[in-house]
Amino acid sequence: MTEHTAIDDGRTDAEDVADPGSDDPDVRTDGGEAIAPAGDDSPSFRERKERTDGLSRLTYEYFERSRREDQVLRDDSDYVERDVLGFPAWPHEMIRNLSITSFFVGVILFVSATMPPPLEAAANPTSTPAVILPDWYLYWSFGILKTEPLNLELAILGGEKIASDRTFAVLLHGPIIVMLFLVPFLNKGSARRPVEQPFWSAVGVFGVLLAFTMSLQAIVNLMAQRLPLLTADLILWLHLSIPFLGAVITYAVLKSMREGYMYDLNRRYYRLRPPR
Amino acid sequence: MSLERTDEFDRGDWIEEKDLSRVERGYLVTLMWLDKRFRLVDYLELLEDAYYKTNLQMPKSHTEQYNLDNKFWYWYPLYSLGSLSIIAYVILAISGALLGFYYSPSATTAAGQEATIAYNQMVFIMTDLNFGFMLRSIHRWAAQFMVAAVFLHMLRVYFTGAYKEPRELNWILGVVLILLTLLFGYSGYVLPWNQLAYWAAQIGLEMARSVPIIGEWAAQLLFGGFSPGAPTLMRMYILHVFVLPFVVTALIAIHVGIVWMQGIAEPH
Repeated sequence: MTEHTAIDDGRTDAEDVADPGSDDPDVRTDGGEAIAPAGDDSPSFRERKERTDGLSRLTYEYFERSRREDQVLRDDSDYVERDVLGFPAWPHEMIRNLSITSFFVGVILFVSATMPPPLEAAANPTSTPAVILPDWYLYWSFGILKTEPLNLELAILGGEKIASDRTFAVLLHGPIIVMLFLVPFLNKGSARRPVEQPFWSAVGVFGVLLAFTMSLQAIVNLMAQRLPLLTADLILWLHLSIPFLGAVITYAVLKSMREGYMYDLNRRYYRLRPPR
Repeated sequence: MSLERTDEFDRGDWIEEKDLSRVERGYLVTLMWLDKRFRLVDYLELLEDAYYKTNLQMPKSHTEQYNLDNKFWYWYPLYSLGSLSIIAYVILAISGALLGFYYSPSATTAAGQEATIAYNQMVFIMTDLNFGFMLRSIHRWAAQFMVAAVFLHMLRVYFTGAYKEPRELNWILGVVLILLTLLFGYSGYVLPWNQLAYWAAQIGLEMARSVPIIGEWAAQLLFGGFSPGAPTLMRMYILHVFVLPFVVTALIAIHVGIVWMQGIAEPH
C-alpha cells in the first residue's frame, strides 16, 4: 500500500479503480479506448502465469488422485498375488517359442525348395499378355476393379454416370478400408467370443467371404468364357450375394448356439446361487 | 582448507577392516577406480535387473486363473500368427539384403542385350549365382507366408474381439501395417521387370491416375510418369528397399511394444 501510493502521487486505490488514468485526459500513454477498451477482462501477465501454474498443478493433482484410486481398487480387490505362479520365461516359454520359430522357418525353406518361382518372360510393352494377375493377396483389389455394373447410371443426370467406371472402382477401395479402421469404434462392449456377438461375427464372415468372392471376380472374364450359362453380370451378383448368405447362416448358427451356451452359463450360475 | 582429496565414504578404512587377500584387494581397488570414472554400478544394476526379468515368474494369467487352458491350447497356433509374420519379415530382410547385392534396378537395356538390365540380373541370380535360385525362392515364399500370416492374424484378432477397449489404436496401427505389407508385396512384384511385373505396374499406374484431383500427382510421385519405364522401376525399388523397410520396422516395433505394454487379449 505504501509503495503504491508513493508511485501514484498520493492517489488512493479507490480513485484508481473508479477512474483509471483520468487525472490528465490530454496525456494518455495507453493508446486510448481503441486498443484496451474499458472493462476488458483479458488476463494480465501475472494471471496468465498463474493459469499455466494451475494446469501443471491440476495435472499433478490428477496423477495423485488416480494413483490413490488405483490403490483403493487394489485394496478392495480379492485377487491374491502369489509368489510363484505361471511358467517361467526360461526354459519353458523360450523352448516353445524356439520350436515354433524353427518349425515355421523349416516350412518356408521346404516350400521354397520344392516350389521355386518360374522364370517368366521379360517385360514387353508392345504385347499385352492374355492373363494379367497380381499376386494372390491383391486379387480382391483387382476384383473390385471389375465391378462396373455397380456404378449406377443416374436418371437425374440423364442416364450419365457421376464417375467413370475406373474412378468408381478405385474409389470403392476407400469405404472398405475405412470400415476396417472403424471396427473398434463401432463394436463396443466386453463380448469376446463369437457366440457372445453373433452379429459382429456375421459381419466378419461377410468380410472374409467378400474377400474371396472379389478375388474370384478378378477372373470374371475367364469364368464367363468357360461357363456359358453365367454372364458377367450374373457372376457379379452371385459374388455379392454369397457373402450375405454366409453372414445370415453364421448369424443363425451362432444365435442358436448362444441359447445352449447361455443355458450352460445360467445353469452354473443358479447352481451357485439357487433362485429363492 | 586442504587441497588433498577427502575420502567421503571412508573407503580406505572399509577396505582395511575387510582383511582381504591380495587378489581380492586388487580387484576391489580396480573396481572402485573404474566405478569412480565410468559409474559401473549403474550397469551392474541394469544387468541384475535383466537377470531377474529373464527369470521372472509371471503372475497367473487370465487363462490359468480361470482354468481355460484345456480350452485354450488348441487355439494357440492362432495366437502365434503375429510372431510368425515377424519371423517371416526377418527372413525377408536377410534374403532381401542378399538379393540386393546382385540386383540392379535399371529398366534400360545394355548394348547388345535384348532384355533390360533388371531382368538380366534376375536371370543371373536364378541361373548363374550359387544358391541364387533358392535365395529368390525363399524371398518369394517368405513374402507369401508373411502376407498370409498377417491376414490370418487380423482375422484372429477380429473374431476373438481382441481389438476392444484398450486396444483400438493398436488395431488401427495393424490395419496400417497390413496396407503397408500389401504395398511391400506390390513393389516387390514389380522389381523383376518381367511381363507380369510390367503390366502390374501399368495397372497400378492407371489406378493411381484415375483417382480424382490428386491422381496425376500421385501417379508421378509413385510411378515417376504416366507409363511404366525406368523411373517406375527405380521408384518401386527405392520404396521396396529404402522407404518401406524403415517405416514398417518402426511400426512393427510400436505395434509389439503396445502389445507388450497392454498384455495379450486372452479369450474369456
